[in-house]
Amino acid sequence: MAIDQENQQASEYIEGAEGFRSEEMILNMGPQHPSTHGVLRLVLTLDGETVVHCTPVIGYLHRGIEKILENRPYMGGIRYMDNCDYLSPMLNETAYVGAVEQLMGLEPPRRAQYIRLMTNEMQRITSHLVAIGTYLLDLGAMTPVLYCFRDREGILDLFEALGGSRFNVNYMRVGGVLHDFPKGWLNRLEQWCNKFDQSLKELEDLVTGNEIFEARTQGVGYIDPQQAVAYGLTGPNLRGSDVNFDLRVDRPYMAYREVSVNPAVRQEGDAFARFRVRLDECYESLRLIRVVMDTLPGGPISTRTPIALRPPRGETYFAVEGSKGEQGIYLISDGSEYPYRAKVRGPSFVNLQIVPELLRGHKMGDVVAILGSIDLVLGEVDR
Amino acid sequence: MISDFWQEVIHFFITLIFTLIFVPLIPLIGVYLDRKILGLMQDRLGPTHTGPWGLLQTVVDMIKLLSKEDIKAAATDNIIFTLAPVIFLAPIITSFVVLPFSPYLTVNALATGLIYLVALSSLDVIGVFMAGWGSNNKYALMGGLRSAAQMISYELPLVLSLVSVIMLTSVLNAGGVGIGSIALSDIIHAQMHPWWLWFALIQPLGLLLYYTCGLAETNRAPFDLPEAESELVAGYLTEYSGLRWAMFFLGEYANMVIVSAIATSLFLGGWSGPGADQDFWVSHLGGLWGGIVFNIFAVAWFQAKLWTLVFVFVWIRATLPRLRADQLMRYAWLVLIPITLFNILITGFILLAVPQLMGGNIIVAQVPLNVWILGAVNWVMFFAYVFLLGRITGVSATGKVPRWMKKRQAPAKIPAQSAPAQPAPQPAALVRAQK
Repeated sequence: MAIDQENQQASEYIEGAEGFRSEEMILNMGPQHPSTHGVLRLVLTLDGETVVHCTPVIGYLHRGIEKILENRPYMGGIRYMDNCDYLSPMLNETAYVGAVEQLMGLEPPRRAQYIRLMTNEMQRITSHLVAIGTYLLDLGAMTPVLYCFRDREGILDLFEALGGSRFNVNYMRVGGVLHDFPKGWLNRLEQWCNKFDQSLKELEDLVTGNEIFEARTQGVGYIDPQQAVAYGLTGPNLRGSDVNFDLRVDRPYMAYREVSVNPAVRQEGDAFARFRVRLDECYESLRLIRVVMDTLPGGPISTRTPIALRPPRGETYFAVEGSKGEQGIYLISDGSEYPYRAKVRGPSFVNLQIVPELLRGHKMGDVVAILGSIDLVLGEVDR
Repeated sequence: MISDFWQEVIHFFITLIFTLIFVPLIPLIGVYLDRKILGLMQDRLGPTHTGPWGLLQTVVDMIKLLSKEDIKAAATDNIIFTLAPVIFLAPIITSFVVLPFSPYLTVNALATGLIYLVALSSLDVIGVFMAGWGSNNKYALMGGLRSAAQMISYELPLVLSLVSVIMLTSVLNAGGVGIGSIALSDIIHAQMHPWWLWFALIQPLGLLLYYTCGLAETNRAPFDLPEAESELVAGYLTEYSGLRWAMFFLGEYANMVIVSAIATSLFLGGWSGPGADQDFWVSHLGGLWGGIVFNIFAVAWFQAKLWTLVFVFVWIRATLPRLRADQLMRYAWLVLIPITLFNILITGFILLAVPQLMGGNIIVAQVPLNVWILGAVNWVMFFAYVFLLGRITGVSATGKVPRWMKKRQAPAKIPAQSAPAQPAPQPAALVRAQK
């Protein structure tokens, strides 16, 4: 109802020159559209090709994950975090198990922390590769997405060897991780790193310096640093606007307290800057993986935990630096086996807020350029 | 011997059969090449399962398309929706009348060949716009509007880029002095004395500009805005399926071939090439067989050049992202049209002024001096254009400020590091939750 009223207001008749009347057009972009990255629906009011007004409509992928978490034992909730932001399950799981550990006052063994860091960085690369590839696909470049998916496939294979599943890994556990590395896994990872080192440079050469790509992205969807903070943006979207805030550095958790991270920051604040930040973060993640491979401590991979976890009464908030921003979990425990309340702080959901603001005044072709640069995952927006 | 009348009749039927076989083959070959080349460039295989090397894949696709249910949405404008594919396809098929596949395999070598082709190519837009309007779909409407704007805009530089070639024929036609010709066979003949004198060597800039406009004219990447699948779903084709869609599809690929064929005839010497020598074959094999062998060579050369250009179409599609609508229009009106006009001016000036200054034209290595000078100047212009191209198109989204004048958009209002309130890093391992 609210949408209809707004649209009626927006679509007033405009008197053109010489009595020629033009009318604004309302276009429903989505929920089934090739480049809304899932089932986002944008109700666009267009004046010719220019966007006058935009209302995002969400909820088409709502599965009630937060409610499901309340009805599962703490260990059982891990698996549902995979489906939240389905492009970065490892990071979601880390946020969840981190929150439960914080509730219980557990400290996972050092080896487990380092394994978590390594898998998190691998997951970050896969998520950014999908973001980069599909972004270029939205802009009309067909080839890079296939290069990106080819490289991503290597990590997914490694995840399969590690946790038994490529995509919904279900690998983190409260107090540690599920398995230690299988035999030869680290060698395979090193081989992949060497290959990816080259293909990342190849990808960079393919894209940056392309005049059409620069013309399409530079100056498009500019976010002010103040605006970015005010809207609560996190992750690459925030760092693309010259705000150096990274949870791995500013609120370090687990093994990040011992490993130094150099977050990528760009000053321009436009779509190109956000794209560049993602590309630079891939380099940084690759460096971190190599650092951890060299300094991987020994020891157990998990602490002993009771079968039924009963954290003491209390509430906690734990956030990790996800691939899209601050990936937080807010848990309330009433002392039973089930969380009393579980709230997922999805970065995509928060980042989506700025989209109508950004789209206003841009051309129809820029809608996908801006939407892609924000890097939404609708599984997380709708949860 | 056969009388002239019967020779005409035989010629008509042979060319008719050739065209009737060749035109439906274009999408079959074109789509296969498209998929296979794209696949190889994108580190995958492309079609492999149907037939050897997936050769039958496009045939099977066509059968599927032709046997599909004829879907028509309830709200479409019935007459316009049904007529649009026909009106789109008709001028494209008719264009094949003048294409000089070889001296014999030309249905009708019209004296006004080039004008005829250009005129027909500008009729396509009507069909596309009808499709966009008749579909009664907002995406289709936007696609149709974009297409109309784009095709009309790029028609101008397309024609203008061909003018300099026609000016060249006035110098290089047999005899050296004369009036330029717009018959395709004359233009091809003008590039054969000496045999290496392709106009692409004299007018590289002309070829580049023509090819750019041809990309836009055929709605291929990076100018595929009318059917930009990431923005407009499928543009003006959104509501089409089955046979009607196949007609648009055929038209699109046939259009590619026509654009490449014009470029081949005007810039790459048409059917000329080693082996395609009529006098040699006729003197060795006699009139009939000599003619046949010569024409086979000519057709082979023409097709080789043609599909090389089609390959470049696919190559560009695999490489470049898409322009935005306003950038596209700005590029046509602010870059292409001025530079084509400038090219015409320079070409005319050199062709006329140099003989005047020298007091008669000097022939250097079989080629008039002014053509040598023209070639040199055009190569310089070609590289200057390629160098400047990036700078001109790199215009920011607001559409005003070129990039090199304003490097950084964002004034950093908040100094980095201090923007959000940063909580102090938590000291001990993990803080115990409190009630």
